[in-house]
Amino acid sequence: MKTLEIKNIHAKIGNKEILKGLDLDLEPGKIHAIMGPNGAGKSTLSKTIVGHYDVEVTEGDILYKGKSILDMEPEERALEGIFLSFQHPVEIPGVNNAYFLRTALNAKRRHEGKEELNAAEFLREMKKHLEMLGMKADMISRSLNEGFSGGEKKRNEILQMLILQPEVIILDEIDSGLDIDALRAVSEGINMMKDGKRSFLVITHYSRILDYIKPDYIHVLKEGRIIKTAGPELVAHLEEHGYDSIVEEA
Amino acid sequence: MKLSELKGKTREETATLLGIDPEAAALEHFLALGLPDKKSEEYRYFRVEKLLERDYKILDYVPKAIQEAEKIVISDGVVTHAPKGLRIYNERCQTMDPVHFDPLYYLSHLLSPHVIKIDLDGDTDIEIEHRFTQSNTLINYRIVLANQANRHATVFESFREEEIEDTLVLYGYDILVAPDSTLRILKNQLMQKNRYAMVASHRIQLAQRANALIKSFDLGGDMGLQLIKADLDRYAHIDAGHLLYLNHEAQRGTVSKIIHKGEHSTSHQEAKNILDGNARGIFDALIKVEHSAKYTKAHQNSKAILLHEKAYMVAKPQLEIYIDELEASHGSTTGQLDEKQLFYLRSRGISYTEARKMLVIAFANTLIDQVKDHRHQDIIKASFEEVFYSGS
Repeated sequence: MKTLEIKNIHAKIGNKEILKGLDLDLEPGKIHAIMGPNGAGKSTLSKTIVGHYDVEVTEGDILYKGKSILDMEPEERALEGIFLSFQHPVEIPGVNNAYFLRTALNAKRRHEGKEELNAAEFLREMKKHLEMLGMKADMISRSLNEGFSGGEKKRNEILQMLILQPEVIILDEIDSGLDIDALRAVSEGINMMKDGKRSFLVITHYSRILDYIKPDYIHVLKEGRIIKTAGPELVAHLEEHGYDSIVEEA
Repeated sequence: MKLSELKGKTREETATLLGIDPEAAALEHFLALGLPDKKSEEYRYFRVEKLLERDYKILDYVPKAIQEAEKIVISDGVVTHAPKGLRIYNERCQTMDPVHFDPLYYLSHLLSPHVIKIDLDGDTDIEIEHRFTQSNTLINYRIVLANQANRHATVFESFREEEIEDTLVLYGYDILVAPDSTLRILKNQLMQKNRYAMVASHRIQLAQRANALIKSFDLGGDMGLQLIKADLDRYAHIDAGHLLYLNHEAQRGTVSKIIHKGEHSTSHQEAKNILDGNARGIFDALIKVEHSAKYTKAHQNSKAILLHEKAYMVAKPQLEIYIDELEASHGSTTGQLDEKQLFYLRSRGISYTEARKMLVIAFANTLIDQVKDHRHQDIIKASFEEVFYSGS
């Protein structure tokens, strides 16, 4: 069974239709990369999957494990196992990072019928991830993303992913604003999540991240639709010839 | 007794109705200001007339033997409990402000010529619990607080009421903050179920180089207004923070006048307001810098979040300045919860209600976190949560 099936999705933001009949299937254990020019609808696709308030779906359906998610609230989708790493994680002054993470983790554990973790258990769980991501310990006691550099925000997104252990992972330009060390740490975190079952949707402008996270499929998104799907070899072609060289598949 | 009966009365008539000496100093000030109504500047946004028109039972305030306890308990205006060794007197007030802006400040003094005087000796930390047990009653009392020079004192105020209704509480402090000292007053008041209404009228006098921290946490519903007048001498500093978290039909807030009289005096006043349901929040605050107060620094700010379309915030930060040599600012914003922040939390599996609570608390935390004592902070946070879940 496919993990996620996107069927003929039409979606608009305001009065503008952005996704115009997009079809995409995510397979278990596979890494799918979405590439495309600016304004193609890449971020709208990620927002549509997680139920962002900006997006109105006018046609089509999205099935997660065979069940439509379009009527589900964002938190229900998250609890079911869908995770979006935001391109621009929002800053929330006054909300402690550790408290936020523990609240999110315990919401998931409750949903799965597991016991909630207390503060000590949670800290133990988190510490092992912090070191691997090269995050300073004080980042968890600060307000959520407040005053974080671009790299710190992205690491914090990956920390959340590692803690929540989602099944569908959407990474929206996770590589933007990262220096080489941060890119390595973030990629390592992502690669740790590969278990042969999880599906990844990596949205990116650049091939650089794909040197660290090896995709199984490359999808080219243009004008609101997937116009080509191929193996990783397509990246080199796109680097050399650009998106205009891609002719829509029948 | 209906307080509205005092309207338009002569000195003698007022004295007779209140059963007081017609020569009482407070009477002249009260008559000059007049009984407040909806046209009164200080009560324009607060339906005080409704409270004054009720027929209240009047209490006799007879001092009782004080039992030893960890905190001061003032029950219906009479001290019943206090920590061992604390000096508490029942005496005639010597510190009434001759130029307060609030007529109910003077009415309160007229009704209670004897005040509860609490001496804050040395570095001390006390709690005052105000208890109200009488229905349909006017509970009136005044407290005088005096600390010592070069000392640091903290007063934490809490409020507890029994199953009462239609009671009006008039109370307030006359505070003298001694030179080179610090006095912190933390007020946590959760009101619900229309058991009582409150008008609290305070006067704070800061001596040279004195520091006052006044933090009020007004939570829940019902009617309550605090009126604060603070006078600052040279190098004195006041840090006033007011958190409103209101729901239902609440009408609560702060009316204040901070007056810089001495050079190099500084003030910082911040209001955070979260309003749900049909609540009305009030922040009507003036900072006045007199000719004598060169090199003053005065900053004032109000921020409000409206959680419901019918919620309403009256925010009037004002500066009245008579000199050029100063630094001053004021501002006010009113908005709603940030949709992006709300979505971010929900996208991690946190429910809408929990996410909303986290953001509301985050907004309030900037003030709550200024309460350094974790015990007090926990009490305030628990009250906050109680209001949140009763309103959602």
